[in-house]
Amino acid sequence: MYKWLKPYVLLLPAMMVILGIFIFGLAMGLIQSFGYFPVVGLNKITLKYYREVLTDKTFLSSLGFSFYISLISSIMSVVIGVLLAYSIVQSESKKGIEKVIYKLPIIVPHAVAALLVYNILSQSGILARILYSFGIIGDQSEFPSLIFDKKGIGVILAYIWKAIPFTTMVVYTVLSNINDRLLEVALNLGADRRQVFWYVLLPLIMPSIFSCFIIIFAFSFGAFEVPYLLGPTSPKALPVKAYIEYNNPDLTHRPYSMVINMSLTFISVILVWLYHKSFKLISRYDG
Amino acid sequence: MSKLELKNISKRFDGKSVLKDVSLVVNEGEMISLLGPSGCGKTTTLKIIAGLVEPDSGDILLDGESILDVPVEKRGTVIVFQDYLLFPHMTVEENIGFGLKMAKVDKAKRVKRVREMIDLVQLTGHEKKYPGELSGGQKQRVAVARALAVEPRVLLLDEPFSNLDARLRESMREFVCDLQRKLGITTILVTHDREEALMTSNKVAVMLEGSIEQFGTPEQIYKKPASLDIANFFGEKNYIEGTIENGMFKCKIGKFKANHNISSKVKAMIRPEEVELFPKSADTGVLGKVKRKKFAGDRIYYTILVNDTEIRCITKSEKDFKIGETVAAKIDFGNVVFF
Ligand SMILES: Nc1ncnc2c1ncn2[C@@H]1O[C@H](COP(=O)(O)OP(=O)(O)OP(=O)(O)O)[C@@H](O)[C@H]1O
Ligand SMILES: [Mg+2]
Repeated sequence: MYKWLKPYVLLLPAMMVILGIFIFGLAMGLIQSFGYFPVVGLNKITLKYYREVLTDKTFLSSLGFSFYISLISSIMSVVIGVLLAYSIVQSESKKGIEKVIYKLPIIVPHAVAALLVYNILSQSGILARILYSFGIIGDQSEFPSLIFDKKGIGVILAYIWKAIPFTTMVVYTVLSNINDRLLEVALNLGADRRQVFWYVLLPLIMPSIFSCFIIIFAFSFGAFEVPYLLGPTSPKALPVKAYIEYNNPDLTHRPYSMVINMSLTFISVILVWLYHKSFKLISRYDG
Repeated sequence: MSKLELKNISKRFDGKSVLKDVSLVVNEGEMISLLGPSGCGKTTTLKIIAGLVEPDSGDILLDGESILDVPVEKRGTVIVFQDYLLFPHMTVEENIGFGLKMAKVDKAKRVKRVREMIDLVQLTGHEKKYPGELSGGQKQRVAVARALAVEPRVLLLDEPFSNLDARLRESMREFVCDLQRKLGITTILVTHDREEALMTSNKVAVMLEGSIEQFGTPEQIYKKPASLDIANFFGEKNYIEGTIENGMFKCKIGKFKANHNISSKVKAMIRPEEVELFPKSADTGVLGKVKRKKFAGDRIYYTILVNDTEIRCITKSEKDFKIGETVAAKIDFGNVVFF
């Protein structure tokens, strides 16, 4: 009896912990973002904090900056990943060492990636020193500031370095699972190699590319350590701003932090929804 | 529409010879069948014609000119594969229009041509569907339409009906054959179905283990198989060894008039449908005992034991004999083939 219930019952303890923490945390955040934080004497539900934060210039520029670094780094990672995966598939080198090497960055933590980028690209970094010792630049301070810069180049580079292997791996898997014979059919019907890529290969892997893009985008949008270590002081990436607000010793300040968190959550939910959509497309293509 | 010639095509895969000296001529507008058992090299032959596989030696001529150096996409020899291979991310319309789009045919013309094709293969109403939403027969028609849309010089059909159920297969076969005749496209139909090959084509090429053993009209192939292997491929037969002397075939089951003159040891091939069974009282042919009997609806398959020799025969289902019953088997020696 009630056989269908069994898996749910068995999953209940684990689900209670996972969902409990998730829902509890979210609910607390939501309540606090509406200005209800009785511990410090805030008792009134209000939209004031939302109004203030959402019209605040630094918030908006942080939001824009986060979007900008996530978008640029995700697009570049995906494009480079696709090209790399395609060339690996084409080269057909079955055991090639590059297949191991390109995956290396995946296991390196983001914070370490940030330090690597710092060590190489900062004005006191390896690259600047090499250029200086070869006399190409007169002083290390002549080296363009790629770290802590307003364009977020250091952050973007760190993200790209981390994400390319991931996109390459995903796209490579998808590409090598595509029925080669579909490509033969396309050639047979008169498509040249370039057309085969644009009209058959790319559309077929597009849903996977898109979901890959969403994952990377969501990660770099919500992640804190890389822009914290490599980003400019202003504008700050949104997660960094949330962290700083959260650390404000004045606890009556907490609702501001929570509004920022809720904005991040809201955007994440939209991304999850898009991700879900892309999966529907993938399954249709299988038919 | 072109005349296609294969000249001494050979191909090895990993040192294993797959095609041996294959030669074949398909005249303009003709439809021939390439018939052979699984693994004999039929698909490889088509792929070589289409340029998807390179032959080790030999030549392919289209209207007298070698096309070996023409790249796949420019050959105009289009294959319809056994498993259709429709593009899953394109609708029926887009699939059919694919070749035209690649050839950069302008939109208006393309739309018109796709319309015509959809009418031709009777898929009106399904234009916007994706392959995942189509039945096997519909997918197959899309695949045919997609190939026809580019007006190929040669159409190569690789067992296009084998994935369909019996009824659909018959109607699709008729449909495609009509279409072929109507459009007059030079066509090779690959099949391992003997009946299909005999029914559909002007000529049949029988391929066994990578070489073409016989190439002729369906009647020639059926009536005068060039070798025992081909005869066997066309179904279970009776083979009786004996000798021919003075126009008489002498063997274990008796003496028969034979329209054959070589006087030596021969093997007579007797088709099961050329043995007729009568009650013992009919006093004709040779007497034998019913050993096995298989009922198959409109026919019955019998195995008769005549002097320790098994003879298989097929009768109409009215001829109902019991196992162990003695019957008279009359063999029509007019059509017997001697090897
Ligand atoms: N790319 C390839 N590499 C190695 N061997 C191959 C390749 N393609 C075909 N073969 C071999 O060549 C032989 C003929 O294959 P082919 O596909 O032409 O047979 P077929 O007559 O079409 O058979 P079927 O009726 O089963 O489709 C088979 O033994 C097959 O294993
Ligand atoms: Mg085949």
